[in-house]
Amino acid sequence: MDDRELIARVRAGEPAAERALYDAHVDRVYRLSYRMAGDDDLARDFTQETFIRAFERLDTFRGESAFSTWLHSIATTVALNGLRKLKRFRKRETDIEEADGVTASRANAEPDLKKRLAQAIDALPEGYRTVFLLHDVEGYTHEEIGAALAIESGTSKAQLSRARAKLRIALADFAGEWIG
Amino acid sequence: MNENREDRFERELKRMAQDYHRPPETPRDEMWARITAERARRRESMKVVPLRRWMTWSVAAAAVLVLGVAIGRWSMNVKEKNPGPRNEEMAYRAAAAPYLTRTEALLTSFRAESRTGKVDADFAAQAQDLLVTTRLMLNSPAARDPRLASLLQDLETMLVQIAQLPAGNDRNDVDLINQGLDQRSVMLRLRTIGPTPGTSHRGAL
Repeated sequence: MDDRELIARVRAGEPAAERALYDAHVDRVYRLSYRMAGDDDLARDFTQETFIRAFERLDTFRGESAFSTWLHSIATTVALNGLRKLKRFRKRETDIEEADGVTASRANAEPDLKKRLAQAIDALPEGYRTVFLLHDVEGYTHEEIGAALAIESGTSKAQLSRARAKLRIALADFAGEWIG
Repeated sequence: MNENREDRFERELKRMAQDYHRPPETPRDEMWARITAERARRRESMKVVPLRRWMTWSVAAAAVLVLGVAIGRWSMNVKEKNPGPRNEEMAYRAAAAPYLTRTEALLTSFRAESRTGKVDADFAAQAQDLLVTTRLMLNSPAARDPRLASLLQDLETMLVQIAQLPAGNDRNDVDLINQGLDQRSVMLRLRTIGPTPGTSHRGAL
């Protein structure tokens, strides 16, 4: 049964169809939420809120794009808003280091390539980081990213290019190990 | 970096980045249970709130009427010896005291429980009930006292935030509410609000 048929059955009030629609999409939504949050509790919260909003607003889904595209746009909005709130809170509470400072100051203390890569990804500006995770890690196309983030696919390509450039700079110490 | 090195860098970057926030297996059944429970809770609150609001207004109005009549009869006897505020204001003062006590109890419990982690969903329902009375108080002669009016406005803001907390609430939302309580000194003001010279709350709060 495809999404279109499932959606029609959900609109007709079939609880089993809701579960089937959820089962068909939950893996990618949870993966996306987890990649962005890096925390199981947050990923569960974001996934939960995404599906609740999707079911609440299903009547507004016109089928002009794929259901997955529509759903992932909700998921990215939920995750980004949640992370922004978290960031504001942490900033007030702990006055954490600025992202660039984290990369620079921890470079010598943390020689492990994977950890340095994780720090460098964390330090990317929000837009670059989101596009990088969606494209290079989760395999979304630029068209899908554009639809999810409400940006042009060209903007997605440009942000990915800048994200990679920043990561290349942040990981320059490891160039020999990386490329060699 | 020539073209080959660039391509290789990007390929290795993608490969290595797979370990970044690598998701565990999707807890699909657990999340589905939470989703259905939360949707049911939200549906229920949509049904219950108008009924509760109507009931609360009715009960509050009835209580005020009874109190007003009782205080009016009592004040007829003591009017000449001890002239005080008008009967209507007396009734609202009397109604404000239990409301402030309930609100203080709710906020105190909320703060205590929020330190332990997740906040029980019952707080949202209680806050919703108190919001109705808050609005009633703000629209009543009780709000002629600027100190009480200011406190009621802050309480309304806090109660709205608590009432809107989702089940499995966001820790940050809870922390922000607690910060608001601290920044506005809400608990202190709740505990210390008393008579203001020339206003109508003497003895009631």
